[in-house]
Amino acid sequence: MQSRLKHLFWATAVGLLVTGAPCLANEAGEQLYAQQCVRCHGQQGAGTEDYPSPLAGDLSVDQLAEQIRLTMPADNPESLTRDEAQNIARYVHDSFYSAIARARLEPPAIELARLTVNQYRQVTADLVGSFLWQASIGDERGLSAEYYGDRNPKGRDKAALTRTDATIDFQFGTEVPVPEIEDPFRYSMRWKGVVLPTETGWHEFIVRTEHACRLWVNDNETAVIDRWVKSGDDDEYRAKVYLLGGRAYPLKLEFSRGTQGVSDEKLHEKYKKVSEASIQLMWAPPMGAVQVIPTRCLAPFEAPPAYACTTHFPPDDRSYGWERGTAVSQSWFDATTAAAIETATYVCDRLNRLAGTNDKDEQRHEKLQQFCHKFAERAFRRPLNEELRQRYVDQHFEQLDDEEMATRRALLMTLTSPRFLFREASGGDEPQNTAARLALSLWDSLPDEELRSAAAEDRLSSDDALRDQASRMLADPRARRKLRQFLFTWLQVDSVVDLHKNSERYPQFDAHTVADLRTSLDLLLDEVVWSDDSDYRRLFLTDEVFLNQRLAQFYGLGGEPPADFAKARLDDGERAGVITHPYVMSKFAHSDVTSPIHRGVFLVRGVMGHALKPPPEAIAPLSPDLHPDLTTRERVTLQTQPPACMTCHHLINPLGFTLERFDAVGRLRDTEQDKPIDDRGEYQPQQGPAVSLSGARELAEFLADSDEVSQAFTEQMFRYLVQQSLEAYGPAVAKRLHESFVESKYSIRQLAVEVAVVSSRVGRDDDLASQSSK
Amino acid sequence: MGRHNTRRDFLRAMGLSAAVAPFLMNRPSLAFSNSSARKQRLVIVFTPNGVVPPTFWSDEEGSEFTLKESLTPLEPLKDRMLLLHGVNNSVRGDGDLHMRGMGCLLTGIELFPGNVQGGGDTPAGWASGLSIDQEIKNYLQSQEATRTRFGSLEFGVMVPERADTWTRLVYGGPNKPIAPIDDPYQMFAKLYGEMKDRENMTSILDDLEEDLAKVRNLVSAEDRGLLEQQETFVREFERSLQAEDQRAPDHAEPELPPDIERKNENMPELTRMQIELMVHSFLNDFSRVATFQITNSVGQARMTWMGIDEPHHSLSHEPDSNTEAMDKLTKINRWYCEQIAHLAQRLDETPEPGGEGTMLDNTTIVWTNELGKGSSHTHENTPFVMLGGGLDLEMGRSLKLGGVAHNRLLMSLAAGFGHELKTFGNPDYCGAGALTL
Repeated sequence: MQSRLKHLFWATAVGLLVTGAPCLANEAGEQLYAQQCVRCHGQQGAGTEDYPSPLAGDLSVDQLAEQIRLTMPADNPESLTRDEAQNIARYVHDSFYSAIARARLEPPAIELARLTVNQYRQVTADLVGSFLWQASIGDERGLSAEYYGDRNPKGRDKAALTRTDATIDFQFGTEVPVPEIEDPFRYSMRWKGVVLPTETGWHEFIVRTEHACRLWVNDNETAVIDRWVKSGDDDEYRAKVYLLGGRAYPLKLEFSRGTQGVSDEKLHEKYKKVSEASIQLMWAPPMGAVQVIPTRCLAPFEAPPAYACTTHFPPDDRSYGWERGTAVSQSWFDATTAAAIETATYVCDRLNRLAGTNDKDEQRHEKLQQFCHKFAERAFRRPLNEELRQRYVDQHFEQLDDEEMATRRALLMTLTSPRFLFREASGGDEPQNTAARLALSLWDSLPDEELRSAAAEDRLSSDDALRDQASRMLADPRARRKLRQFLFTWLQVDSVVDLHKNSERYPQFDAHTVADLRTSLDLLLDEVVWSDDSDYRRLFLTDEVFLNQRLAQFYGLGGEPPADFAKARLDDGERAGVITHPYVMSKFAHSDVTSPIHRGVFLVRGVMGHALKPPPEAIAPLSPDLHPDLTTRERVTLQTQPPACMTCHHLINPLGFTLERFDAVGRLRDTEQDKPIDDRGEYQPQQGPAVSLSGARELAEFLADSDEVSQAFTEQMFRYLVQQSLEAYGPAVAKRLHESFVESKYSIRQLAVEVAVVSSRVGRDDDLASQSSK
Repeated sequence: MGRHNTRRDFLRAMGLSAAVAPFLMNRPSLAFSNSSARKQRLVIVFTPNGVVPPTFWSDEEGSEFTLKESLTPLEPLKDRMLLLHGVNNSVRGDGDLHMRGMGCLLTGIELFPGNVQGGGDTPAGWASGLSIDQEIKNYLQSQEATRTRFGSLEFGVMVPERADTWTRLVYGGPNKPIAPIDDPYQMFAKLYGEMKDRENMTSILDDLEEDLAKVRNLVSAEDRGLLEQQETFVREFERSLQAEDQRAPDHAEPELPPDIERKNENMPELTRMQIELMVHSFLNDFSRVATFQITNSVGQARMTWMGIDEPHHSLSHEPDSNTEAMDKLTKINRWYCEQIAHLAQRLDETPEPGGEGTMLDNTTIVWTNELGKGSSHTHENTPFVMLGGGLDLEMGRSLKLGGVAHNRLLMSLAAGFGHELKTFGNPDYCGAGALTL
């Protein structure tokens, strides 16, 4: 509770800098305090030589007022009026007396945190996966295909044809699927590889075919769709699988045309039916529309099935704009218990494989016990001492004859331990804590084998060594996922985005378009981050957009439409990176008209990183119908005219107006209501004269060049990666990080490395800001 | 706090009514439904490949009848059985006679056209409707008073590892076959696994609390609050588990012999294990409907333990003139009958928990088969033998019903639970409605 208030204070303080509004509207109280009280109680109630104890307590304002009126000033009690006492009491209470006020005055500190929900899922996946072989996914995309001239797929060497198929989307009709197969009424296929989801959550897989099929996803034994018996007219089958974005999961699809059951040439001839054959492998990923699984999400490689914890957790605290694990709740506790059971069950169902043993192994008991030691050691992110080994593992093996039950208990205990659930729970400055912080910052997960060895061999003591590790780790798909998630969070499109638009006005802006736009943004971010220079300024300045056929048509790209997503210079150079990306423009807009206010708030809060107070009261936007002759800009100006609004809106509106040439679905326009669009705006930077910004390009150029904006980006990346406030690491760290960002020519990847290095070095115990205050 | 070191102790923690939150996992309550009204139950047992009619059907009609060779194991239960001759599975359509015998047996409706080629006839797929046990389950689950943790349980013995029309008896709906669980250990895990974890959690909470206190002392005063909260949750969890302990009834779980492999020779052992699990699932009121699928249509059990080396289905194709084969088939059916009798006896020696009489007084067992006779593949005189008092029928009789459609019998099973169906399966075979037996 205390820490939360601290942060709120900091947020408010920044907001005040921006808006210039008075903080605590009690100047009378402050003056009276200065006249009557400060000589004994000191500034901020800190006390003086004569009266050293600071003013702090838990009386309410009214109680305090009564006490002041009756007892103060000490040399002349009851000389204050009730109103005067009340004003003093309110000032004292709100400025430094109450617990809340005291918390505000404390500098932020690095706080004990539990794993966030996302981290819990990543960590459990890697914890289990660390006992299996590691997949290596190359650049090739699509699925490896085997075609057979028989009703069932056999071994690969029996295939009539093998090749790689880009997608599974075939219409065979009544013909043979490939010339190598003879009988158009009896053939089969097998497609194998991995699926590469970008989002985390339930993915619905859909197979459409008039014939027999079965599909395995992330489980090589049990098919998620088993329609090897073709029955009735059904030709679409669905199954949901929980997958974590950024990982590779094994997938296998089989198809059979012909009959199962009794194999008899005569019956085959007698009952064979001339009918169409086709097959499509589709999915509906979270926040996506039903589509044929695109080539970029399929790869012809092998990977072991990976654990994905599906237990529902309550969402993490995001009150400061980034996910943190600094609070626990009953529902979180319940979820961790359920998730421990889910995880232990998954492990126990595959115990022999994971522990490298078998039912007849004479050393099974020892091997399982050792497996539990390793499991706990990896889960706790540090070596086990004798006491922990006994407590978490050995006692169960001593008490129970049944080694599987002992294993299960050891796993359940490990997974519900504070040493697993909380970060660096036991404190200290061991290299293992550095390794754990590094892995959580870059991967949201556990140290891998290399990082564990580096910690064990004390190879993490210099910044250079840490930098080498961080650079190595950045190449891992888990780092790619984390940076992607950060940028989506930075743009405020990370969670469920409702882009429902007025269908009369924008009839083609449907779920498919929205899903494609998300992909388009994803591809743009990916391209910028993973290009050689990884230059953050390109996020603002690029005038190219990734478009597929549907988007190219919708957004009016001339020329031959692209077959799949490709970069295109849209609108003759009027586009300005993520700021005008249609997904972002559509998100910060109403269903029928634009919202300069939403866009302005997004720019102020999100991109520039300034806090804004919430509006004094909730106000619905003026309906366009009431003012049919006004443009959106004019309506917004009219509505936010009152001075109470303008304290914030003088900042919000002129920024939002610069994006007015992009309508509610992010299409470029020149007019609104037959009036030309006025997209001029302005901004008063922290330093220097006010700048006038005409349109999106000028805005983008200003943003790309602004220290304010790159500082905000640095700070937000820090918070997202580390899940602590940057202030807790002291002012020097913020400054140094920003300098290194500028020096690296704004390399996003380099910034991530520096953030990881600087934060992994510092633990709660050597928390700089709180030390300086002690 | 006390540990549960023995099974018996642990069981005290089982079968609980208001489960602790983490164990709920969005499922219906772990244990008893709320009503103290009489618990009616239905068990449908399937055995394959037809019977030998002359050694199966009694000659007489009415309450005075003599059991033939195949049914002699039921002698001690004769006054609690009903022998129903003259019930026909009249459903036609796609699929061979085994497939339809199986897929239409409990559904009373045609198979969809599909890609499974039988030994003749057109290929077919799954049944196009749900089976009567699932209909009754849905009815019972729809009411608070009869709702149980599982609703229904699908047991099996030696069901082949392939999903097709010959291996699936139970349907949750059109094209929704439900696979029986033929591994007793898997069934045990389904019934008791969640509760085992309750025992496991109970056993580790003390140590966890101690370690939490240790960790708490390692962190700064500001950070301690978070861990103190965590400790409170652990303590409350422990307390709620203890409270459940005290309220828990004392219903045993079966002791399964360890390491019984799923193979032909172990059929007798596997069957006994499944029967024990079923009896205990009723004792705990986990479910009031069960099916028990012994092998499958065209099942090839080799009853080597009785000196029969030929597989069952192959034997069933022998002509009536092969008296040696007929003897063996009679022995095979008598063995199946022994299992039914054993199930009935186990239920009859177990007092109804919280109710009157024995569990058999409240349970009706229906034993059936996909064919009337193996060599002819007829669906006429499909065997139906009923046992026990679950449906309040007048027992101790041999009835000759003269060729009624089996849909009407399926409807009378539902009617026994107070679930009056106007039709079930294909309405064309539902005639005057449920049979009055």
